[in-house]
Amino acid sequence: MALFEIKNLSFSYPDYEDNPVLKSVNFNINQGEFITLCGKSGSGKTTLLKHLKTVLTPYGKRTGEILYKGNRLEDVDLRTQSSEIGYVMQNPDNQIVTDKVWHELAFGLESLGTPQDIMRLRVAEMASYFGIQGWFHRDVADLSGGQKQLLNLASIMAMQPKVLILDEPTSQLDPIAASDFLNTIKKINRELGTTIIITEHRLEDILSASDRVIVMDKGSVVADDAPAGIGEHLKTISSDMFEAMPTPVKIYYEVEKNGVCPLTVRDGRKWLSESFEGKDIKVSKVEEKSFDLEEVTNPVLHLKELWFRYEKNGEDILKGTNLKVKSNTIHTIVGGNGTGKSTTLKAICNICKPYRGKILIQGKAIDKYKSGELFNGMLAMLPQNPQCLFVKKTVREDLLEMIGKRDDTRILDEVVRDCQIESLLSAHPFDLSGGEQQRVALAKVLLTNPKILLLDEPTKGMDSIFKIQFADILNRLKDRGVTIVMVSHDVEFCARYADCVSMFFDGGIITSNTPHRFFVENSFYTTAANRMSRHIFDNAITNEDVIELCRKNQ
Amino acid sequence: MQDTFSRCNPIVNLIFYLGAIIFGMIFMHPLCLMAAAVTSITYYIYLKRIGGLKVLLGLAPVFIIISAINPLFNTRGETLLFSIGTRPYTLEALIYGVAVATMFICVILWFFTYNIVITSDKLTYLFGNVTPSLSVVFTMVLRLLPSYKRKLAAISNARKCIGKYGENGGTKDRIKNGTTVVSTLTSWALENSIVTADSMKSRGYGSSKRSNFVIYRFTSRDIWILVLMIICIVTISFCGIKGGMSYTFIPDIDFATNKFTVVGVLFYFIFLSLPIIIDVTEDVVWHFLKSRI
Repeated sequence: MALFEIKNLSFSYPDYEDNPVLKSVNFNINQGEFITLCGKSGSGKTTLLKHLKTVLTPYGKRTGEILYKGNRLEDVDLRTQSSEIGYVMQNPDNQIVTDKVWHELAFGLESLGTPQDIMRLRVAEMASYFGIQGWFHRDVADLSGGQKQLLNLASIMAMQPKVLILDEPTSQLDPIAASDFLNTIKKINRELGTTIIITEHRLEDILSASDRVIVMDKGSVVADDAPAGIGEHLKTISSDMFEAMPTPVKIYYEVEKNGVCPLTVRDGRKWLSESFEGKDIKVSKVEEKSFDLEEVTNPVLHLKELWFRYEKNGEDILKGTNLKVKSNTIHTIVGGNGTGKSTTLKAICNICKPYRGKILIQGKAIDKYKSGELFNGMLAMLPQNPQCLFVKKTVREDLLEMIGKRDDTRILDEVVRDCQIESLLSAHPFDLSGGEQQRVALAKVLLTNPKILLLDEPTKGMDSIFKIQFADILNRLKDRGVTIVMVSHDVEFCARYADCVSMFFDGGIITSNTPHRFFVENSFYTTAANRMSRHIFDNAITNEDVIELCRKNQ
Repeated sequence: MQDTFSRCNPIVNLIFYLGAIIFGMIFMHPLCLMAAAVTSITYYIYLKRIGGLKVLLGLAPVFIIISAINPLFNTRGETLLFSIGTRPYTLEALIYGVAVATMFICVILWFFTYNIVITSDKLTYLFGNVTPSLSVVFTMVLRLLPSYKRKLAAISNARKCIGKYGENGGTKDRIKNGTTVVSTLTSWALENSIVTADSMKSRGYGSSKRSNFVIYRFTSRDIWILVLMIICIVTISFCGIKGGMSYTFIPDIDFATNKFTVVGVLFYFIFLSLPIIIDVTEDVVWHFLKSRI
């Protein structure tokens, strides 16, 4: 018997009845299945998931029904639903209720009124299974994002759910924490047989572990297939969700097909080797962008041996950081978590004041700029969390705040058009999706008309389709003479769009190079396309490179 | 790192502090004050080491001021020291001032160590036994306050980087910016509390009667300490009722000195020394264990 049966489910929010979020959705979920649900932002994934638990179901007009173990979900009592249907949300921070790790683990059990001795056992079990013992007594506030999300998962697993629903659980995590988290999910499915329903942008990590992939577009299910067939399916209906598929799948369908569709880098390597077996590789290199770093004579931004620490007796975060940024480029800084990348940006903005070293902006030391002059037409930063910038009731008012007394709406219109937010102007900024918020925040920052734009993890939580639009915006800015310095974990994005990539490690920039040279030299910290093709091609780092070389060598 | 007394069951900690603070405020018999001063200072220094000495030095002026000020308001007493204008400044009033100051400092020191010993999670545990839902509210507040503080910093930094906050502009602009930041924080907090509420509901909050997860256990040592403390409290109270701790400062100084005084003060001293005794015993045990290795 199916665990969930979703029959002809349609849903629309009040006041938007002619624009339903879900349109007659039909599918079954069986016990023990691993289901990946994907779709663009705003395609109704979250709304669908919220329907699988009565307390979370949004208010609105709804037709069709959902059966849980053969009974209507509304008739299943709250207690059973609470313990059997686990739900992990997107934001690691906001779903935590209590202040201590051990208390959070016990929260669900406390709510169910579980007796003390059973609670003790369950909490102990979960802490051991998820490796939480080491930080069991810690304050929740001291945990990293990855640890917080793991704690959320563990505190739900303590209630021994039959099914685990995860709504973009890794969108706020860095890649290493994200893949650890997804591995834990796979382990739960494999070892405990818990049914998993997950929405995720990072398909690379989970597609191969899924039993089924369901693709949604504009509120309807457009594909429901095994992972190996989903690429084919999306290609035939030419859905733009194809862009979100993992690198090997994309390359496979773009090149003339032979063999089985690879889902992982390992399979991709094998598939490439087989395709080129016995053939001569005529062209093994793509043309590189010429860009010589040695010749940066007149850097628009120049960091000279910055030293910084947060506390007097603390450890140095920046240890003699040097950086030269050429004007009119997209310069990205990559590197592990907590190495000081964001601190570098804060130092440039004068939020963290280095105790030694110099920052030159267009050849002029930062403290020589008059207050107000620096952040008005020279430098601006888009913070990691765009919500920090929203202060008004509507997007339009928020943007007008930046223009101030000048009633020059021409600039406003231009920026609005550039960031493609015309349709969002009358919405409340907090009602927008993550990607939309990012665009509005960018628009707000751009209204200061900066020559140097600093971005802190801008692609966090963006879906792959939106990343392309975002890159377009950045490229347009670059054409207009803006220099962009971006801190990012997103290796794929940097490889595709950056002019220069720097590696940050142990308080300093270790190396800077063009993306091609940078990623080709790395064997671990590099793109999936490079890892997949490095044994055959010399310098292919993006999907386009691999596809181009494959075609040339056919 | 917590000391041994802090690692006892929170109920033990709480009863000790209830006793120490309530007795500390009732008993102004000089022997009691001396016992309280010696033990509270010793325990505070034991917990804070060198840093504690600085705080004690900082308290010295408070002690002197409270002592010296009392005779200015209280002019009664037999022994005249000198007069300020027509107002007499008497020895009895001065001694009473010293006693009040000692009591004040002792209670403050007990509260200082209370803050170190009784951490927020112990408090939640103590609350939780009485009312589980209140304890949830309490832990949520404890979590939210630091997170608001961090968020406030993030918002003002973000605004600074778009030239909207900080040095530029006059007082009026600054106030305007300040209110904007606070209002942003409010909408952010409200927005996020919806998620937290969803997360609570989804984990069955309110679906049945709450139970309370207890991380602390009652060990046999806790029971022994508790028994000892109750014996002390009963004896001290008994001696107090019998007049063993009675005192008068004004108009002339007179203190009880009888068998109840001796017993009462002795037990009071033992009671207040318990944390130090427990800590030092354990230190000694460790010292010997180490030397055996």
